[in-house]
Amino acid sequence: MQAQTDALPRRAALPWPPVSYRTRIRAWGVGFVLPTIAFFAFFKYGPMLWAFWLSFTSYDMMGTPRLVGFDNFTSIAHDPMFIQALGNTLVYIAGATIFITLVALGLALAVSQRVPGSRAYMSGMFLTNVMPIVAVCLVWRFLLHPHGLVNQMLSPFGFRRIDWLTDPSLAMGAIVGVTVWRFAPYFMVVFVAAIVAIPADFYEAAEIDGAARWGRFRHITIPLIMPQLFFVIVVSALLSARIFLMPFLITGGGPGGATRVLSMLVYETGFSYMKMGRAASISVALFAIAMVFTVLQMRLFMRGEED
Amino acid sequence: MDSRTSPSLVGRRGFLMTAAAAGVGAALPPSVPRVASAQQAPTRAPVKLTFWTWENPQQRPYQHRRIQQYTQQFPNISVEFQYFTFTDLGKKVSVGYATGTAPDGFATGDWLMPTWLSRKLIAPLDVSLLGYPSLDAFRNDHAEAFVAGSIQDGKAYGYPMWFYGLENWANTKQFKEVGLDPVRDEPKTWDELGEVAKRLTIKKGDRFERQGFKFAMHAAQWTMVQFNPILLQAGGQWFDRTGKCTVNNAAGVKAMQIRSSIAKKYGAEDPADSLATAPIPWMDWLKERCSMFSAVPMGPGAIKPINPAMESEGYYKAYLMPGVTADRRYSTCYGFNLVVNSQAPREKQEVLHHLYRYMMGDLIDCWRATTPFTFARKSGWTDHPDVRNAANIDAIIRAKDTGVFLPRTPVWNELADAMHRAVQKVMLANGDPRQALDEAAAEVDRATDEFKKS
Repeated sequence: MQAQTDALPRRAALPWPPVSYRTRIRAWGVGFVLPTIAFFAFFKYGPMLWAFWLSFTSYDMMGTPRLVGFDNFTSIAHDPMFIQALGNTLVYIAGATIFITLVALGLALAVSQRVPGSRAYMSGMFLTNVMPIVAVCLVWRFLLHPHGLVNQMLSPFGFRRIDWLTDPSLAMGAIVGVTVWRFAPYFMVVFVAAIVAIPADFYEAAEIDGAARWGRFRHITIPLIMPQLFFVIVVSALLSARIFLMPFLITGGGPGGATRVLSMLVYETGFSYMKMGRAASISVALFAIAMVFTVLQMRLFMRGEED
Repeated sequence: MDSRTSPSLVGRRGFLMTAAAAGVGAALPPSVPRVASAQQAPTRAPVKLTFWTWENPQQRPYQHRRIQQYTQQFPNISVEFQYFTFTDLGKKVSVGYATGTAPDGFATGDWLMPTWLSRKLIAPLDVSLLGYPSLDAFRNDHAEAFVAGSIQDGKAYGYPMWFYGLENWANTKQFKEVGLDPVRDEPKTWDELGEVAKRLTIKKGDRFERQGFKFAMHAAQWTMVQFNPILLQAGGQWFDRTGKCTVNNAAGVKAMQIRSSIAKKYGAEDPADSLATAPIPWMDWLKERCSMFSAVPMGPGAIKPINPAMESEGYYKAYLMPGVTADRRYSTCYGFNLVVNSQAPREKQEVLHHLYRYMMGDLIDCWRATTPFTFARKSGWTDHPDVRNAANIDAIIRAKDTGVFLPRTPVWNELADAMHRAVQKVMLANGDPRQALDEAAAEVDRATDEFKKS
């Protein structure tokens, strides 16, 4: 025994103090997420902080940024172009969010009826979301042309020519329509997943109790898909807040600035007018709007759940 | 040469021919740049350049061809060639500067020269590398008013290429169809244009089968090109001496009323039928969907691919743009400069000089490829038979020589966008011209103030 004990080599002392098992597990966890954190820090949060700092400077991309305090923010607050773009953005966010939610929910209810072919129909509708956005915008620009296919389809029903993209009162509605066409099927899938997960027993019980279709929808379907409803509203609002390509490609922000949204103003101010500091201040304003929307919606839904 | 000729006779002939060539060369004015010799490479080291230009069905392929020929002659030099739409090139270059991806050299419209110069984004040119002994020789060899926009503080910053004015292009077959004479009924004033356009218009219900005259509505640059001469003809100006935008004064309002009259007063234009859906602005005219269109010089090379019948039968004619009065007819003239990115390395800048000189070294070859786009350079092309025999050349050259320039301001983009919105408000939303111009002027003044502060 003595000889066996003497034969075992002594473990060399580690250069660092012994680490507990829990700490080691945590370190491994941090190590695994660190690349992702670094990625986001470098490509997402770093530029955000840089833009935030730029918003307090005057910077034309050639010299060095010059601190100007809140001058950019006070300037844009009195700028009619910013106010118009802000209004357009809010109208777009409200319109797109409401109609995306309604259309997606409607499509989901229709598709979840489990009629033959509903799955194929759902897959077909989802194609609108995977089409390249530039192609979508260019095709819709032709479809909504005064002599385009949409007007030609409407004219047999007695509709006169509609200037979808050149009438300032209609252009934003047209952009919202294209947005709904593109994104509603995506959120439809979210709703379908939620609806089919509702146990059929609830509907059977309600039917036995004499609840009509609308009552079953209002008191069973809506409450049980509330988390998904919240998700769709928040995400569609956030997507709408940062929309750029659709108004840029379809109307160019016209007519007369009627469809110019804040992200377009950021682009024009920064890259066309070479005022990066001012552009950054507009993007900070856009960020604030998105945050306000999100917080308001979260509070609204949380209050609803508490009730 | 006949191989049986005696060596001594060849020697004398050869001597005489060489002497004659030397004499002709000596007799040429010193301002004519010598074409870059194929033997004289700018450098032996490998150089990779990036060059951006704008899309035009004739000009862009010619530039590309010349660059390809250049890189074949000098294999150590490669050029990454990119092109963008005419309306987007300026913004694309701006974005390039913002992101550090601007090209080493690019072509720019002359109206953007103040934008680049005010921010020191382009480098001064060494005119000696372009074949000129002095700045004065360079200046004297180009249309003076045009080259003035590329010279600042005694240095040249742009090497001029094409330079031309806009004409009123008319479909003479359609003129005859409605009983108009293409010569006698040439519209000389805006009112005459409206009346002629009205007769040429064909409408079925609220749908235009054919528009009598069309302004391009799709891009801010085109809005400026078209509105500029009307404003000046009406007695207005873009800025006063203090730099304040004056487009919203009485002359500006009158100009806007003229601009909108073709659609609103004469019913000869559909402003909502935007040309944004056409690949080139003058497509509707080439497709005979409008009878007259204000456009750049067009020749067989531009017309034949789209409308072979129009080209072969020749039923098109270029008029001077109309005026407020018949004796004040002029259009906008503009052109393009080759410029060098001030941030490009010194060696690349020198090679770009060599490339640019090569690109514009053979104006007759350029003319043949891009007829009838005229040049800023005075010498070496105007008297050539190919030029004198080009269709509509008199109107084209007169438009260039009498044209007015776009306003040269460092806030050009802001001005163009503001005017574009103003025109859209009036044409598409029935907005009040005065109010629309007031808003545009206010936007420009804000932009000017911010530029001065920065």
